[in-house]
Amino acid sequence: MPIASERNSSLETHAAQQARGALGALSVVEFGEGTAAAYTAKLLADFGADVVKVERPQGDPTRSRGPFPDGKADPDASGLFLYLNSNKRGVVLDVETGAGAEALDRLLTSADIFVTDVAPSVLRAAGCDPEVLRGRHPRLIVATLSPFGRGGPWSDWMGDELIAYAASGMAYGTPGIPDAADDLYAEPPLHPSCFASETIAGASAAVAVMTAVMGRRRTGEGCHLDLSFQAASAAVQIRDLMPASYGGAIYNRLLNPTSIGRMPNFYLPCQDGYVTIAAPMDIHWNRLAEAMGNPAWALSADFATEPARARNWIELRERLAAWAMGCTRNQLQSIGERYGLMMFPFHSIRQMAASDHARDRASLVDLAVGNRPAQMPGAPFKMAATPWSLRRPAPRFSPEDDAGVAPIGEVA
Amino acid sequence: MSTSPKPLPLEGIRVLDFGQFVAIPFCTLWLAQLGAEIISVESSSRLTARGAPPFEEGQEGNRNASGYFNSLYATKKSLTLDLATKEGKRIVHELVAVCDVVVENFATGVIEKLGFGYDVLARINPGIVMISNGAFGRTGPMKDGRGLHSTVNLFSGVADVTGYVDSGPRIMGSVLPDPLSGTYAAFAILAALEHRSHTGLGQYVDVAMYEAMLTLIPEAVIDLTMNGVEPRRVGNRDRQKAPHGIYPAAGEDRWLALSIADDQSWQAFCHSVGRTDLASDSRFANAPARLENVEALDAEVASCTSVHDLYAMVAQLQAAGVMAGPVLRSDELLDNPQLDARGMVVSIDHPVANRHRHLGLPWTMDSLGTRSTRAPLLGEHSREIIIGLLGRTEAEYEQLERDRILT
Repeated sequence: MPIASERNSSLETHAAQQARGALGALSVVEFGEGTAAAYTAKLLADFGADVVKVERPQGDPTRSRGPFPDGKADPDASGLFLYLNSNKRGVVLDVETGAGAEALDRLLTSADIFVTDVAPSVLRAAGCDPEVLRGRHPRLIVATLSPFGRGGPWSDWMGDELIAYAASGMAYGTPGIPDAADDLYAEPPLHPSCFASETIAGASAAVAVMTAVMGRRRTGEGCHLDLSFQAASAAVQIRDLMPASYGGAIYNRLLNPTSIGRMPNFYLPCQDGYVTIAAPMDIHWNRLAEAMGNPAWALSADFATEPARARNWIELRERLAAWAMGCTRNQLQSIGERYGLMMFPFHSIRQMAASDHARDRASLVDLAVGNRPAQMPGAPFKMAATPWSLRRPAPRFSPEDDAGVAPIGEVA
Repeated sequence: MSTSPKPLPLEGIRVLDFGQFVAIPFCTLWLAQLGAEIISVESSSRLTARGAPPFEEGQEGNRNASGYFNSLYATKKSLTLDLATKEGKRIVHELVAVCDVVVENFATGVIEKLGFGYDVLARINPGIVMISNGAFGRTGPMKDGRGLHSTVNLFSGVADVTGYVDSGPRIMGSVLPDPLSGTYAAFAILAALEHRSHTGLGQYVDVAMYEAMLTLIPEAVIDLTMNGVEPRRVGNRDRQKAPHGIYPAAGEDRWLALSIADDQSWQAFCHSVGRTDLASDSRFANAPARLENVEALDAEVASCTSVHDLYAMVAQLQAAGVMAGPVLRSDELLDNPQLDARGMVVSIDHPVANRHRHLGLPWTMDSLGTRSTRAPLLGEHSREIIIGLLGRTEAEYEQLERDRILT
């Protein structure tokens, strides 16, 4: 039977639950330094969980990363910190002292979930080894995140966002082109300038945590979840792994037919930007040829059929680039719409943010960074009954000028 | 097949799955491994995944031998159904009454046209959780826009921070918008089920793939909207660490990732690769100097690393206290000793496609179990679902077959 039938007398009214968010019944302690664990706890907080963020006296390193208003460093005005930690309450604890460790344990006594990505040595000093916590708090769900995970030959390796991303295969598989059609050295493996593997790990850990919440309802028991950045970014490469699993082929970043199948399906420079052009099957190709004015080359035996286009993909790329360079992004987009082809122009962050679509969906939401207005990414998905909400600002680190913020050791 | 004796966390959750391509199938693959029962609704007339390469050698085109399908549909059940027929629609409505979750990633509007919009399904089962996943989401002026991963990459803004120094935008690998939005869909389902356990009520969730990707770039979004700073593509460099990048190792297309945050690590690196001259080079004496001279630094580092064997160099650098790692190719993930030691590499037997390796869930659990069984043959579970789950008789089942409803 579906779990919907589990109705009982303790049901809240729908309105009350809506006001708190989907996860309003859950309490979380986060001891995170960086993006991964903070992001897991952010997802839980943004959908209603009560989250207490624990910081050491030196503060979360994200407070010193920015971006800051006009680039001026301020631990209470780091854009990344405020993004990751809105909707959380905060406490500063020196967990490596007895009193600090005790205070942390008091928080854990009433928590459902503990999420952390601090080094195992710090956790040990705080008396918070996962095994110890599982013994002391049998119903607690403990999620540990690290570059390579606990256990296994690489578990003691030092790592960060870049190292884990590289070891997950993501950097190798990041496609090159359009500048280097067939040269593996012109475009080395690439990492995007953002915390990609930590965010993927944080989102995956949020799934793991909610799984354990469901599991606890069945077993009455907590769980230790151990997640690595490397594993999380490896898991999302399911499509690129298939050629290796079936036949041993290597997927590489040249966007060639062995990598991605039928052609064309790549992106190219145009007059004022870049555009993707997908016309992989003959039915699409014929439409694209028509859109280009049926040039003789497109209808020739070298390009008219799928096998021919796969065989001549480097020349195909050059010919299509030559055509695309004669068009603007808007022209290409409307050609795509008119001919039912998947053609789409590159949007800068500015163009995306300014688009009617992103505005209409509130894809970006307002965030005050210090005294400066800014915008940050909003809900990663829209829940109709229990929407994402911004309920409180991130915890401050310099509470002396703010009577509303508790001193060190007390949850604000 | 491998099944651990520990309790499966999502046992008892039943999902009606209209997924296609990668995003939703990836979402329900995770739920299946965690114990949920996934009923994949297939139709012989649109076998997109089953027709996609790579195939088992010698079985090209065999709809039970696609590696694409067998990877993404492992541990699920297959029900074939003609959704255009009245009886097919009735079966879907009966299934909705006994399911917890419905997932779909058709183009916007298709599920409503089929008669399975959320409003209809919620009248049948108020507890139903329904997830729609699409490139641009289900609302907004571009909601009808079609787009695969490259389109989503290019719209999301992520391509704006992905690229070589002062070069054009690049998209990320791994059709990432699909599995990343699938991961968020899985989280959304579990959050909605948590909500339902307190209220008895389900709800509708709209996942836009570009919004999933947008969560990767908060720094760039905030810097732009707060300070007007346009993103600059800087290759693999970092604004605080140097050297920070991917450098050639000995051999064809082998690469080392290196991330050095402090002077001590820099000294350790120089000594480890036998370049004491760099250790005393004033251009690289401290982090600000190394950032200032990053072009020269990267060239020197590349000349050091390109003569060393990748794995030997990584072992030596890690032992010396330097943050370094190999750039793995996708095919190396299945042989990776670390992922294997964590139980993530799973071998699954298949009667048509034989034995293949896959990557399982990226986390371990001490008190809860997972499972991985083979992907279903086309229509393999139709009888079990129609008779066993919906309670139709054998005679009714045969009639459905004769009427070509179960195709």
